[in-house]
Amino acid sequence: MAYIEFDNIKKEYKMGEVTINALNDTTFSVDKGQLVVIVGPSGAGKTTTLNILGGMDSATSGKVMVDGKEVTSLKGRELIKYRREDIGFVFQFYNLVQNLTAKENVELATQICSDSLDPDEVLDNVGLSQRKNNFPSQLSGGEQQRVAIARAIAKNPKLLLCDEPTGALDYKTGKQILKLLQDTCKKGKMTVLIITHNTAIAPMADKVIYFKNGSVEKIENNSNPTPVEDIEW
Amino acid sequence: MKKALLKDSLKEIKNTYKRFISILLMAFLGVGFFAGLRASSPDMVDTIDKYYDNQNVYDIQVISTLGLTDEDIEALSKVDNVENVYGSYEVDGKIETENSEIVAKVIALSGVNNPMLLEGEMPQNVNECLVEPSFLIANDKQIGDKIIIEIEDTTNDSGDKIPVLKHKELTITGTAKSPLYISRDRGKSSLGAGTINYYIYVASDNINVEDIYTSVYITAKDAKKYTTSSEEYEDYIEELKQNIEAIKEERENARKQSLVNVADKKVKEAQEELDTQKRDAESKIADAEKELENARKEIQDGEAQIYLNEQNAYVQFNNAQQELDNAKTQLQTKEQELNNTNFDDLELKKQELQTNLDTVNMTIPALQTQYESLSKLLEDENLPIDQRQIYEAQKAALEGQIIELQGAKQSLEAGIQEIENGIAYAKQQLENGRYELEQAKAELERQEQQLNNTKWTTYTQIANAKTEIENAKVELQNGEEELEKNKKDFDEKIADAQKELDDAKEKIADIEKPNWYILDRNTNAGYVSFKQDTKAIENIAKVFPLVFFLVATLISLTSMTRMVEEERTQIGTFKALGYSNLQITRKYVLYASLACIVGGFLGACVGFVLLPKVLWALYGMMYQITDIRINFKLDIAILGLVLISVCIVGATVYTAFKELKNTPAVLMRPKSPKSGSRVMLERIPFIWKRLNFSNKVTVRNLFRYKKRFLMTIIGILGCTALILTGFGIRDSVTRILPSQFGNVFCYDFQITLKDSISKEAKNKIISDIENDVRFEKNARVYMTSGKLTSSESSEDVEVIVPEDEQAIDGIINIRDVKTHEKTILKDNEICITDKVAQLLGVRVGDTITLENTDDLKVEVKISDIVENYVSHYVFMNKVTYESLYNEKYNSNVILTKNVELTKDETNALATEIMNRNEVSSVSNITALSDSIQDMMSLLNYVVVILIVSAGLLAFVVLYNLANVNISERIRELATIKVLGFYDNEVYSYIARETVILTIIGIVLGLCFGYVLNYYILGTCEINMLRFTKTINPISYVYSVLITVVFTVIVNIATYFSLKKINMIESLKSVE
Repeated sequence: MAYIEFDNIKKEYKMGEVTINALNDTTFSVDKGQLVVIVGPSGAGKTTTLNILGGMDSATSGKVMVDGKEVTSLKGRELIKYRREDIGFVFQFYNLVQNLTAKENVELATQICSDSLDPDEVLDNVGLSQRKNNFPSQLSGGEQQRVAIARAIAKNPKLLLCDEPTGALDYKTGKQILKLLQDTCKKGKMTVLIITHNTAIAPMADKVIYFKNGSVEKIENNSNPTPVEDIEW
Repeated sequence: MKKALLKDSLKEIKNTYKRFISILLMAFLGVGFFAGLRASSPDMVDTIDKYYDNQNVYDIQVISTLGLTDEDIEALSKVDNVENVYGSYEVDGKIETENSEIVAKVIALSGVNNPMLLEGEMPQNVNECLVEPSFLIANDKQIGDKIIIEIEDTTNDSGDKIPVLKHKELTITGTAKSPLYISRDRGKSSLGAGTINYYIYVASDNINVEDIYTSVYITAKDAKKYTTSSEEYEDYIEELKQNIEAIKEERENARKQSLVNVADKKVKEAQEELDTQKRDAESKIADAEKELENARKEIQDGEAQIYLNEQNAYVQFNNAQQELDNAKTQLQTKEQELNNTNFDDLELKKQELQTNLDTVNMTIPALQTQYESLSKLLEDENLPIDQRQIYEAQKAALEGQIIELQGAKQSLEAGIQEIENGIAYAKQQLENGRYELEQAKAELERQEQQLNNTKWTTYTQIANAKTEIENAKVELQNGEEELEKNKKDFDEKIADAQKELDDAKEKIADIEKPNWYILDRNTNAGYVSFKQDTKAIENIAKVFPLVFFLVATLISLTSMTRMVEEERTQIGTFKALGYSNLQITRKYVLYASLACIVGGFLGACVGFVLLPKVLWALYGMMYQITDIRINFKLDIAILGLVLISVCIVGATVYTAFKELKNTPAVLMRPKSPKSGSRVMLERIPFIWKRLNFSNKVTVRNLFRYKKRFLMTIIGILGCTALILTGFGIRDSVTRILPSQFGNVFCYDFQITLKDSISKEAKNKIISDIENDVRFEKNARVYMTSGKLTSSESSEDVEVIVPEDEQAIDGIINIRDVKTHEKTILKDNEICITDKVAQLLGVRVGDTITLENTDDLKVEVKISDIVENYVSHYVFMNKVTYESLYNEKYNSNVILTKNVELTKDETNALATEIMNRNEVSSVSNITALSDSIQDMMSLLNYVVVILIVSAGLLAFVVLYNLANVNISERIRELATIKVLGFYDNEVYSYIARETVILTIIGIVLGLCFGYVLNYYILGTCEINMLRFTKTINPISYVYSVLITVVFTVIVNIATYFSLKKINMIESLKSVE
């Protein structure tokens, strides 16, 4: 059994009388320690998939298993506990708490987890040793995203879910972030899912899942992922 | 286009109904409080104005020191702007009931100041009356019962004493309230205990004195058009007062003149009467004297006549006597002659003859005897013849002798006879003479008798006449004496009359010019205090709504700012589409205006009814007026709406324009979130290091949202302050009685003795009370009413003069207001209570004028200002009293402190004391304070109102702020939710801030509440009361708890709002 089983997930949004099918019988699996890139055009269901996987949204039908835990059956507090202990999120717009310094933003996450990592260490690892006490507004976009990643990693989650982590960044910084994510996955032995509409970065993944119109179009396994530094787009 | 905008606005309202409602609520509260409070004072004034108009209450009252007459009324009615003039009688009277002596103001129904009938009927007959409802209750009377009013006789112009009422015994036909006495104060009186207890209306026909009115009431033309106490009214009345002032002097003089005329006439009449009497007396005396003179003369004449008659009679009688005497002498001579006629010769011859005869006679018998013896012897035959012969011879010799002797005898006897005849003849002759003499003598005697008779008669007559004269003389003397006495009497009487006349004349000279007092409604104590209270409310109405406007402005500022910020992109889009700034703004203005108008209108509707009603209910405890008239005051409503709109719409326009200054491009880009920064506290590592992570976050957040920080504090502060004020008002007001009757007046009974009580009776009751074990101690005081006047104003006070300053301690505690130390009453100085000192603006050492019930004014120094809470008192010692009023001290009230008794025992004791003859009334302080305490419980309304408004304020502010807080920080919250914060952790992330703000707000609120309480109590304090301005510790606790409860409720709502935050939606949107 795979580390992550995404089994026949269906997600419907009811907008008044209209029912929109965000996901249709989506099925895929991810192994532990894999770096997975999910690509597809806007509205293909990538984010919905990530949200359901991250315990932020519920599926209409189907089953999600993460490390043997049936996420789809979790309710309320268990779901939060799942998010809290097993999931790390990285967003396109970083979503840092503006009023907290870089380190504090990380601490915000670590203080609620039992087996969290040391914030300083994590920040050192993401290369922000010098900016720990800066506020988000004093940091560049890349640096902010690093803080966001540090915050996600510091929780020592089972899954690191990244929704367009480079979407708001320039090429170079984006690359650095992707590199960080790849390193995290490889060095930190963490399962990482990255959503992107940029197919160019697909080669860096162990597995690439193509989404189209709310379902998986194809899944490509890449036994030999390219290091990010070598990818150009 | 415009339609689209309107549609957009309405949709916006629907979508953001919470925000809309919160702004609407702010408008509701703001306008509601503003309108309600603003309207309260005018509504109250309007109520009393209409009440006064309906009861035809006077505008001006004229009273005169000598009363007013029909001529005065006539003159007054001719004054410009005077509508009607009513003569009125108001006198103080006493009513004795089984258990008290009541002083009542007896008012004649005269068409002005009409009482408002509450129950029963107006008096139709002279022997009927109206009373106030409390009179019935307090004295256990019913409509139809009878009362007897004792009123001291009055003096009419002619100086005669006449009773005021025709009928003293009156039937109660109904109850009424008087517009003259809207407060509980009935004024003071010189009767009884010095205060008037009730008013009683009687039919004007029952008044005996129809020509002198005690006061005259004037209603002004058009005055009903003006609202009483308004500036126009006051000005109008002032002008009218000036008009009346103009005829004042003339009328005063006229009144004096009329009194002088009456007196003059009386004097003249008296003089005439005196003169007539004098004349009468004189002529009477003269007549009497003349009569006496005549009598005297008559007596003299009589006496002379008598003398003359006596004289004549004497002469006549003398003459007659003389004649008689002569006749007597003659008779005596005759008698003498007769008596002298001598028969001696004859007698002698006769004697001789007789002697011879006798001898013969003697011889004869002897011879005879011898003869006989011889004869006898002869007869004896045995006689010897010799003898016989001898014998015969002897016999014959004897015979011869005898014959011879017999012859002699015969001749002798013839001689004797002859002589005897001669004597007899002579004797006859003498007898005849004697007879004649006798006859003459008798005649003479008869004549003498006659003379004597005449003499007696005459003398008796004379004597009678003399007696008569004598009597007449006595009579005359009596007459003279009487005349003398009468003369003296007359003189005395005339002197008296003269003196009276002189006195009367002097009095005329003493008739003073009367003094007119032209008064307006501002001298009616109840009216004035009501007016002051409406002013107090007006003052509060100026301050209180400001709080709400301020909060409304701040709240709408944050709400609308948030709204505009949320729609930044949309605004940018509209702008980019080519809508003008004005058009875009219009949406928000429309949104805010709708909230303002709907909320404001509803607020005005509710406020206009609720607040005046509630305030009226509170003031109703103090005043007896009609129900409040509720008016929808369009001007106030519009003003309120305009003000709230300026605040809210202004805030909206301000924020909208602030945003609209940016270009569409800027607007369409997300607004950079407020950057974090270090706070002051971080520079103090000592503290900062000790804070845990969450606290650091909280601290930093608190300083990050300064506007919200401030507003939350203000909201909570306001909430706490209002609640604390509510409790504070209640605490302070309910504290008054315990303070007054626990700290100052510690007695249980106030036993007022009757005025007329004798010294013995007083000593008796005192000793009875001393000896009664149910009384712990007692003290005697003299209590009376008075009036204190300073340069600033004047106030009615109660004067208390303890008999023994030591004894009163513990019964009335006279303590310095600041130090609470016992005050010694100094000689010739007085202590006054602190509220009256404040009202009069006087301090220790100042001199003040004290007026007693007899209007005697004295200047006296204030030695101390003492603690007191209800009404005003003056304390002085006996020495001061006696020297101030030059009057002997005499206590009239006994104050007692009882031992621990049950309520029933206390009542029984009170009744027992009351039933004593010496006692005029007994007031039971416990019962009194109980009943007032009940009344005070109405104050809980105030607390409720303040708590409700505080709650509303707290809800609106906190809920609104919480919503703004959440929506402003939604990404942050979503993020931490995504990070896996449990719901309660998310909540506490926010709540920690709220808790701190709440704590700060509460602490500041307690401080501000203390100040507000002080301010409001200061503004609302009734003249008669001294609020203690204390807040019970428990009230602080309640205020905090209630604030916490409100905060918790808002936070529960926040909790659910937080729970409902959609992470995906919140994080998805591009900022």
